[in-house]
Amino acid sequence: MSYALVRARRLDLDQFAAAAGLHPELIRRFVALGILDAERDPGGRLWFRPAQLAAVARIQRLRAGFALNYAAIGLVTDLLDQIAALQATVRTAGRRER
Amino acid sequence: MAAADQDFYRVLGVPRTASQDEIQRAYRKLARESHPDVNKDPAAEERFKAISEAYGVLSDPDTRRRYDAFGPDFRQVPEDVDPETWRRARAGAGAGARAGSGAGAGGGRGGVGPDIDVDDLLGGLFGGRGGAGSRGRRTGPGWGAVPGADQEAEVELTVEDAYHGTRRTLTLTSASGTRSMEVTIPAGVTDGQRIRLAGQGGRGSDGAPPGDLYLIVRIARHRGYRLEGRDLYVELRLSPWEAALGTSVAVTTPAGEVKLTVPAGTSSGRRLRLRGRGLPNPRGQPGDLFAEARIMVPATPTEAERELFERLAAVSEFDPRRRR
Repeated sequence: MSYALVRARRLDLDQFAAAAGLHPELIRRFVALGILDAERDPGGRLWFRPAQLAAVARIQRLRAGFALNYAAIGLVTDLLDQIAALQATVRTAGRRER
Repeated sequence: MAAADQDFYRVLGVPRTASQDEIQRAYRKLARESHPDVNKDPAAEERFKAISEAYGVLSDPDTRRRYDAFGPDFRQVPEDVDPETWRRARAGAGAGARAGSGAGAGGGRGGVGPDIDVDDLLGGLFGGRGGAGSRGRRTGPGWGAVPGADQEAEVELTVEDAYHGTRRTLTLTSASGTRSMEVTIPAGVTDGQRIRLAGQGGRGSDGAPPGDLYLIVRIARHRGYRLEGRDLYVELRLSPWEAALGTSVAVTTPAGEVKLTVPAGTSSGRRLRLRGRGLPNPRGQPGDLFAEARIMVPATPTEAERELFERLAAVSEFDPRRRR
């Protein structure tokens, strides 16, 4: 089986903000608060992977659902990611012992 | 709306007499349990929407009062209607509307409160009012479209299903109602593996794309097989003389029976490997099948067997406990 090599698509701040339906400044703030990952190029511009749109959606849902501030959202998303990683480990490794 | 006919108090699990505090506590607890980013069960999304809607109404003392007075249709009742009048108007609307209005007109306002025409009231109920004001606040706090969350559901397969691949009809209860879908599960999935169904997860708001649904594969315990990754283990029961002299045994595998040659001098625990006879691997080496020898003796030997074993015991110098 062969796979084509594809250059990873990335979005700049304005494209990403438009895709997320949010103001670019809010996105910039998410990055500054460390709750959204972005790459910074030598010119200081922010770049995002399209998959990060799901992360933004989760931030919005958590904020709407629990009235969390952004610092708390950072903690919650970190914990949720850790739990997901642990569950994945348990799912594949734990079953072997049966 | 699916939740419209549900009782908001029952959705939150509180009595009608609950204080605002209790309502808030019940909501916070339920929201933590079924938030789509915390609970990956597709049914949780619907539950979360229902409790959010219930809390949206009951958390505000004013809308709660109106909900108590007018029931689930309270949004259709004009703001300035007095509950007493409403109730009376509703009761009278069927038969005594004419007579009642006559008496009321004669005696002036009485204790009835604002003068309301039954037709106006019902017109408000069925007319275009309501909607606009109440719909807008459900979307969320000032955001546009938010994509949906990813969800997870389990599928349980037999070892044979995992070996050959299978089709499953999944029935999911989610915010958009109950839906069924046919899913093809490829041959060679392993326990705990996730199958991604793009776009089948939680719904996005305002036309935003939905999340993905992940099917987590569970392979059920099997009477005959034990599974470790893609390797299959089967028990190979042997009589003492078969184990000592060697034999040929038919072993059942998911792909059918396989003839297995047991070499002479096989002790319990010895593993005979059939390379590549485990679960297939769509991306590489298939697993192996291991037949684990287990020597069985007759629980109640016949007279002849007993005699032969006794002769063997007298003649043999084999000591299984002596270290070699």
